[in-house]
Amino acid sequence: MLRNRLFFVMGLLVIASMILTACGTPAPVATEAPAATEPAMTEAPAATEAPAEQASFTTPHPILGDLRVRQALSYCTNKADLIKSVYPLLTEEEQASLVMNTFIPRAHWAYAGDENVTVYEFDAAKGAALLDEAGWTLAEGADFRTNAAGEQLSLKFTTTSAAFRQTWAAIWEAQMAECGVQIIRLHAPASWWFGDTTGIARRDYELGAFAWVGQADPGGQTLYACDQIPLPENGWAGQNAMGWCNELASSNIKVANNTLIKDDRIAAYTIVQQEFTKDVPSIPLFNRTETFATSSDITGFAPAPGQEYYNYNVQEWAKTGSDTVIVGFTQEPASLFTLVEDAFVANIAYQIVRPAQETHLNYDFKATLVKELPTLENGGTTNNDVEVSAGTMVVDADGNVVELAAGVFVNNAAGERVEFTGDPVMMKQLVSRFEIIDGLTWEDGTAVSSADLELNKKISCDPESGATSFIVCEKTASTEFLADAVGYVQTWIPGVQDPLYFVPVWGLYPAHQVVADGRTLADVPAAEWATLPEVAEKPLSYGPYKLVEWVKGEKLVFAANENWVGGAPASPNLVIQIITPESAEGLLLSGEVDILDSTTLAGLSETLKAAADAGDIVTYVEAGGTWEHIDVQLFIR
Amino acid sequence: MTTYLIRRVLQSILVVFISAVATYVLLSFAPGGPMAGLRQIQQSGRFQITEEDIARIRASFELDLNLWVRFSRWLVGMPRGPIVIGGQEYFADVVVGCRKPIEAEVLNSRGEYEILTVGCKESVLMKDLVGRRTSRGILLGDFGLSWRILRDRPVSDLIESRLSKTLQLIGLETILSLVIGIPLGIYSAVRQYSKFDYIFTTLAFMGSAMPSFFFGLLLILMFSILPKGAGLPYIPAGLSESVRDYTIPVIGDVVAGSVKDRTLHLILPVTVLTLINIAGWSRFIRASMLDVLRQDYVRTARAKGLGQTVVIMKHALRNALIPFITIVVFTIPGLFSGAIITESIFAWPGMGRLYILALGDYDYPVAMAIFFILAVLTVIATLLRDIIYTLVDPRIRLT
Repeated sequence: MLRNRLFFVMGLLVIASMILTACGTPAPVATEAPAATEPAMTEAPAATEAPAEQASFTTPHPILGDLRVRQALSYCTNKADLIKSVYPLLTEEEQASLVMNTFIPRAHWAYAGDENVTVYEFDAAKGAALLDEAGWTLAEGADFRTNAAGEQLSLKFTTTSAAFRQTWAAIWEAQMAECGVQIIRLHAPASWWFGDTTGIARRDYELGAFAWVGQADPGGQTLYACDQIPLPENGWAGQNAMGWCNELASSNIKVANNTLIKDDRIAAYTIVQQEFTKDVPSIPLFNRTETFATSSDITGFAPAPGQEYYNYNVQEWAKTGSDTVIVGFTQEPASLFTLVEDAFVANIAYQIVRPAQETHLNYDFKATLVKELPTLENGGTTNNDVEVSAGTMVVDADGNVVELAAGVFVNNAAGERVEFTGDPVMMKQLVSRFEIIDGLTWEDGTAVSSADLELNKKISCDPESGATSFIVCEKTASTEFLADAVGYVQTWIPGVQDPLYFVPVWGLYPAHQVVADGRTLADVPAAEWATLPEVAEKPLSYGPYKLVEWVKGEKLVFAANENWVGGAPASPNLVIQIITPESAEGLLLSGEVDILDSTTLAGLSETLKAAADAGDIVTYVEAGGTWEHIDVQLFIR
Repeated sequence: MTTYLIRRVLQSILVVFISAVATYVLLSFAPGGPMAGLRQIQQSGRFQITEEDIARIRASFELDLNLWVRFSRWLVGMPRGPIVIGGQEYFADVVVGCRKPIEAEVLNSRGEYEILTVGCKESVLMKDLVGRRTSRGILLGDFGLSWRILRDRPVSDLIESRLSKTLQLIGLETILSLVIGIPLGIYSAVRQYSKFDYIFTTLAFMGSAMPSFFFGLLLILMFSILPKGAGLPYIPAGLSESVRDYTIPVIGDVVAGSVKDRTLHLILPVTVLTLINIAGWSRFIRASMLDVLRQDYVRTARAKGLGQTVVIMKHALRNALIPFITIVVFTIPGLFSGAIITESIFAWPGMGRLYILALGDYDYPVAMAIFFILAVLTVIATLLRDIIYTLVDPRIRLT
């Protein structure tokens, strides 16, 4: 009896320990950069001035509220050494290319240029002088500085426990110590640091390091504007956790995000970057690299900065002497219904059969499957003045979709923020015409049609589809699908002034496809789409390859789509092989897979470097959009 | 014996039920989950998520239901709505969850601010469950739908796709370990302090101490990458089969997916698991045998003039194997759960990887299914062990 009881208790303990052990598994690096953020900037005046009308976080941080201290920290930071610590196998030139001076990568079209911002080149002496000036002096024989009251210059530095961050944080701690600044490192679990109600979201740090994910469009309105500071009073909404409020920067970040003319946007971003580097609410450090590796006999593989989906030219990939290219994935797509499954790997796999209609090479946009990107400049888009009255759905001055009513603030046609009082007001309304290129055909030989676009819109906007967000649908006033061409005219509701207005809105779903039970896809209710094999597991292709077979847990097999508008792809077959991170390099070196992407390779390992030097493989290391930085908490609660 | 078995079966059912409750509750309170990160997206102007979006997503994962309701629907597929008797609905307005909770930040006793649910803006009633998708319950073998790994498709499909690979790997490894490990342990015990015993003991210690991930990588390097680079015969480094046909020196052409190909891919992972198991099991057998060989009845058998083989095989081994039964029966849940580390090193698409994926991706229906099946198998193995004990050891009586 006792034995049975013991077994029972032991059984529970074992199960509990299994769960706890698994829950303690370090999160993948990729999850440590909060996704879907918009690194955009605005700055705040002298950085110690409390934002108006805010009851909490109004007291400047006793140390970091002083601009001279923040500048000193910047001067004392040797970014080159930080980069070297985490990417030791890169050449000095490659390492130097990763340095970030502002919140926008230096290769980005919106970067202000070194000459237009304050660049904090490593200069410990200058940093020390600034600290002296700020009243933090280093006594004879002391390790750390103190102020007149005898308080030590000690700052808590919080970041995740990822090995990557532990590595460079240790170097940075030593760099600060050289300047007499004591850094107390706290490597917190990612679940706490990025938690919804903990860590960054509650501004619970003095100095905090993490990464932002850069995008082709810098965005940034929620990150650096004065009205985006998370506070208890606003339900902690916003991502400006530093509490940085610089009116000039704030207004310009709004301009940059509400202006459609690229040159005007560049000018506004330049001002924001100038203010940002002047006030130092955050210390930009470096871009993370994106590393790819291929067998030496792979041709056509060409990842590029700014192009998130590196398989944009998958039809050009080939392996010498073989009819099959094998790509190793360490994560299997959960579904190819990317409306509900937006994981990176799902999108990569999806775009093999249904390529995107545009590319973002080098952070710029280029049409691929649409005839052109309809811009204001080329006349494809018009920005009309329309009269709106009560009851009309509009985007208000804060970017929310609302029904126009008295008391709502909107941006009028002149760009002024005005309160709607009941009298009609003139607002801007964008209308864009998108046309699919000629000859695009489904793998079954049926030409794509406007009905396919219409079905995409219908499903994307159906609440039963399982999609996460319907904001695009809510911002759509109407879509007219063309009868004389494959395309549509997209009319946004008044007030939508999205800088990316020229990016195609609707994709293609094969309205004509007959599913297993005899219905056409157009007749299948949206609620059934997520479980439909024709949608989730074997979507009909209009791309260079068609999906032939998906062996769960093992591989996705693609074959050339003979109806692809671009002709036969360079390799007749393509396979996505599901592997594990632990096996990845071995499988590449042994020839079981041909390509490993940046989701698998955290960096350039010595093994890969040696194999590349020996000519067995080719590696591609480039500055990725994700960048490390140290945020400064300007106020205390 | 019958009474004992009935009692044990009932106890086993209770154990399985309690372990199911425990694991379900623990997973419910684990950090993360399918809603993690939504708030950040919500704060992003470009990809705005409304309160309604969040309520809808919570409902799709049943996170808007009270824990007991969720558990009951997972276990037995009930409740699915009000009870209808004679056209009359009962309990239709019973609150079973909260669609839109009211959250507030409060200062706790530790002086920290935390978010607590302080009310409910919009409740979920029993009648709202009508039409919601639900499984028939795990007790009826319906494990529900995957949240993440195989989004919205049956967990059973997922398990089915991985189970055969794990059975191949673990089954072969277990058989080889038994066939090789037991004789080695016996021989080493009988030849105690011989050269063989010293060598065997040393190797067994090394095998026990060697982490499987290191051992696996070592074998990949030694038998795959290096020989292949040198143009020598090699063994595939991983996966359960190749995608492309290939040629190995001496062995010749290998067609991808053929029996030959699959056999070659089994060699390295089976070797790792087998050698590590042999090291442990043979040491166990050796110790057990040594213990038995010192017993009076063995001495008596020898004194009776019985031959060494008879003494070892008939008198000693049978008794030495009794404690080994525990190890053998617990390979049963192992056949299902797979080998997490070895499967990862060799990219073997088995249950071990699935288990880790399910927890890492917050796919709790998959994780719960694995836990539940493991609990059942563990209980069965325990029961089986106790029954086998009574068969092989007449000293044990079950009452």
